[in-house]
Amino acid sequence: MSTGLERQRQPPVEVTEEELAAVIGDRALARDDHLNAPGFVVRPDDVQDVLSDLKEQAGFDHLSCLTAQQYEDRYESIYHLKKYADPTQEVSVVVPTSIDDPVSQSAEPVFRTADWHEREAFDLVGIDYEGHPDPRRILLPETWQGHPLSLDYDQEKPQIVTLTEHANPIQPDHHKDESDTMFLNVGPHHPATHGVLHVKTVLDGETIVDVDPDIGYLHRCEEQMCQQGTYRHQIMPYPDRWDYVSAGLLNEWAYARTAEDLADIEVPEYAQIIRTMSAELCRIASHMLALGTFCLDVYGDFTAIFQYAFRDREVVQDILEDLTGQRLMFNYFRLGGVAWDLPEPRDEFIEKTRDFLDELPAKVDEYNDLVTSNEIFQVRTIDTGILEPEVAKDYGCTGPVARGSGIDYDLRRDDPYGYYDELDWDVITMDGCDNYSRVLVRMQEVEESAKIIEQCLDLLEDWPEDEREIQANVPRTLKPDADTEIYRAVEGAKGELGIYIRSDGTDKPARFKIRSPCFHNLSALEEMVQDEYIPDLIASLGSLDIVLGEVDR
Amino acid sequence: MIGLLKSMATTMKHALDGSTFTVEYPETAPDVSPRFRGVHKFSQERCIWCRQCENVCPNDTIQIVTDDKRQGEQYNLHIGQCIYCRLCEEVCPVDAILLTQNFEFTADTKHDFVYNKEQLKAVPWYKDIDPLESREPDRGAWIGEGEGDVDYQ
Amino acid sequence: MVGSVTTLPLQADDTVLLPERIGDLTGLDAYGVGGELLAAFIAAFIVGNLMLAMTGVAGPWAKRKITAAFTDRIAVTHLGPAGLLIIVADAVRLLSKEIIIPENADRPAYDLAPIVVASSALLGFAVIPMGSGIHLADPEVGLAFVFAVAGIASIGLVMAGYASANKYSMLGGLRAVAQNVAYEIPLVVTGMSVVIFAGSLQMSTIVEAQAQTLVSIGGIDIPAWYALVNPFAFVLFLVANFAEVGRNPFDTPEAPTEIVAGYQTEYSSVYFVLIYLGEFLHIFLGGALIATIFLGGPAGPGPAELGIVWFLIKIWGIFLLTQWLRSAVPRVRIDQLIEIGWKGLLVLSFANLILTAVIVGLIA
Repeated sequence: MSTGLERQRQPPVEVTEEELAAVIGDRALARDDHLNAPGFVVRPDDVQDVLSDLKEQAGFDHLSCLTAQQYEDRYESIYHLKKYADPTQEVSVVVPTSIDDPVSQSAEPVFRTADWHEREAFDLVGIDYEGHPDPRRILLPETWQGHPLSLDYDQEKPQIVTLTEHANPIQPDHHKDESDTMFLNVGPHHPATHGVLHVKTVLDGETIVDVDPDIGYLHRCEEQMCQQGTYRHQIMPYPDRWDYVSAGLLNEWAYARTAEDLADIEVPEYAQIIRTMSAELCRIASHMLALGTFCLDVYGDFTAIFQYAFRDREVVQDILEDLTGQRLMFNYFRLGGVAWDLPEPRDEFIEKTRDFLDELPAKVDEYNDLVTSNEIFQVRTIDTGILEPEVAKDYGCTGPVARGSGIDYDLRRDDPYGYYDELDWDVITMDGCDNYSRVLVRMQEVEESAKIIEQCLDLLEDWPEDEREIQANVPRTLKPDADTEIYRAVEGAKGELGIYIRSDGTDKPARFKIRSPCFHNLSALEEMVQDEYIPDLIASLGSLDIVLGEVDR
Repeated sequence: MIGLLKSMATTMKHALDGSTFTVEYPETAPDVSPRFRGVHKFSQERCIWCRQCENVCPNDTIQIVTDDKRQGEQYNLHIGQCIYCRLCEEVCPVDAILLTQNFEFTADTKHDFVYNKEQLKAVPWYKDIDPLESREPDRGAWIGEGEGDVDYQ
Repeated sequence: MVGSVTTLPLQADDTVLLPERIGDLTGLDAYGVGGELLAAFIAAFIVGNLMLAMTGVAGPWAKRKITAAFTDRIAVTHLGPAGLLIIVADAVRLLSKEIIIPENADRPAYDLAPIVVASSALLGFAVIPMGSGIHLADPEVGLAFVFAVAGIASIGLVMAGYASANKYSMLGGLRAVAQNVAYEIPLVVTGMSVVIFAGSLQMSTIVEAQAQTLVSIGGIDIPAWYALVNPFAFVLFLVANFAEVGRNPFDTPEAPTEIVAGYQTEYSSVYFVLIYLGEFLHIFLGGALIATIFLGGPAGPGPAELGIVWFLIKIWGIFLLTQWLRSAVPRVRIDQLIEIGWKGLLVLSFANLILTAVIVGLIA
């Protein structure tokens, strides 16, 4: 069921750069190496060829991210490829297109997840992808003029957004005389969409024929805001606001890791332990909320389980408030460490946290009594919202969603950072591929996180007083070398949260791209709910545990 | 069926033990952590008008107006726009701007949330907690060490 | 329409009904048919208001308090002792809200639906013997009458769903009908098994039949309540009743997280209150029915005058059970619900009916 820190299966053979070069051959026009991976520049019409060769021959089956950006003289799409079996093996495929005619071949036939990636790239940067099955805007309204992250975009220009009645998207080709379909807007204001999500649904009776998630209602230009902040301090408050329901520190870590690798900053060991502990507290809080809201969707009212989950999460929040000074928007990590040591008196804090951990098993048992062993709950969730592992990989699913489909992928173990590789814990996977498995994965991950926190507390308690270094000596102003590019990811609460930064020699990033796990997990919804009933659509949506703040950014 | 009954037994247990988790706000003032970050308090006596807080603020919440001799005239802070990141307190070399534990503030329009230096000065402490004591403001990383320019003026 | 109930002519001879008693007490009897009608109206007024008052307590106050107890919270505390005056505050709030009617609503149907839903439930109480002499009418077809008027609610629900011109309402209305059709039959068939025992559809006879002693243990007489005589039928009836009144785990017609609020999505202000009243009245009617045909009606220890107290305790017990289930049981999916109804409960209820008939036949 679960594996230890040592992977049970053999990691795939390392592909060397020479072998990669051989696979790509003379389709590689040049090299454009990034800090995290070798980069190969290819022609816009070779994209599908190269990507499919990398996928088939070299085993790069995970299109982690697509970054699009505009330079003075060209547009560029970067496909960040990884392997689900070993995410430390990375390769970047860089596709430049001309400034006048930015058309590039679509990668959608190779990786299904490129669909939403490329829609976003078109929407925000303005690159056209030839052969894309559905070249619409994704975050901004259909009628938006211009592409906000392109260089010549005029932010002052007023935009007119019209409200047109939603048409039945499958009416022309799917309408049979004997079967009548009905178009139904689930959201943007609906009790169960966990934020402002609009799912365009086509129903045949109560069964779902087609869903099309319409996102972007919570788009707050997070990427652009980060591009306008200085590396040293001004970016760190914003990650808290991506996945804003208590996963803040996990998000902060994504930025911290990327920027620290970019600027070559060493983090003191003591600070890493505090980071690890506080991040896992966040994970517990986040998973508690996921469990509570999922039960809310299945049970149907703000009843007991939701309240119990909230109550237990509240304890975690109190601990985090003691540590960081805020309950949700922590701004606790700093480049090179954390803002504060444990609060004084230390013993009290450690004891409070230990008390929480001691009570946790009883609470987990209670949830098992209440939720997972309930027969009606099982009838509702087992074998609904099926997400096969191959499909999940194709859609770039990560985190508990992928692990609920039996994909053994956890960046904390596979691409270690922080203090995780020194600690003893397990990665939870389930083979059910259904809503029930995803709930179980989250509940068991809570227990694993508790294990991690326990070990961190032991270490912190015994740490010699004069070696408690919480921050490295970091320059007041960070100016990484011009044209350094890096893509780094951490295991957020919902999955792989990655950040791409390109520096231009100033103290602010030239391009800041966020790879949101919720965004990709949500894109797999259409596969999960085909021919299911409306209640299962709601349950599947809940089991994906999306936060719209992170989907829309 | 057994699972179903177990679920029902669990909720009934909660109903019968009579324990509650609710804080009866506003009758009971909730406890906040000493590190909690609430509305700002500003001290003109301490301020040296170095403008570091204005510079570090991620979303331009602080506005400082000085005369031509760099003497401070205005210190405005939009507490409705503030994201409570505490960078201004962290960067301040003289503890002139602090975030109190006070989280209770209301106004009729968002414009009422633009506090000037007098209003900022009048912000009360919450339960008489002095944040400076509890936050042990170690500004080593800001003032003592670090490379690069330290420019107070 | 409350008054019209009492004009039903079929009455048992030996029981003194509330309208007659009022007629006696006030001397209205002397004024012929007009006086009888007035007495009947007063009696109906008393019973109707008793039920409405219970709903008033249940909706804004008791439900909140019960839910709060299950979820470790406190709930309403500020207005009046234990927050009881929230009932008044909520009434004022709900009645003073703006009534918003959708543009494409099918008008007479849209306006009638809440009234149909609320009144159909109220009608059913006419034939329920509540003890302490509170019994409006006692027709020979009492049980059938309750099933019949309760069934009218389905019409109200489908009217509400269809007339709101909202897709969620439509889905809710359709679900309500599918559910009521699927669960009405097991409900009635299980009710019939009680009729076989009692040998009558008349409510007073059914209650009397349960007054006999089933078994005597250590000097304490256990009454022959049908819940004890035939627990299997009791459980079947309970389940079918929860589905019939749309309570957890069978609250699919409303299903707040799936179809927003089902048939009541587009109702606001007074209409909303009426629909809400109707729902609570249906829960109480279901409780009254269960109390009458399975739990001995108003029977209980102490003098017969306490009958109404025992009766209300039984009704509130059933209400409490619905809230308990709400806190712990997930909602079943609509297809599972229909499956349970047609493939499970229907078969079981017929099996129960046949078994009861055979046993009663053998004993007789």
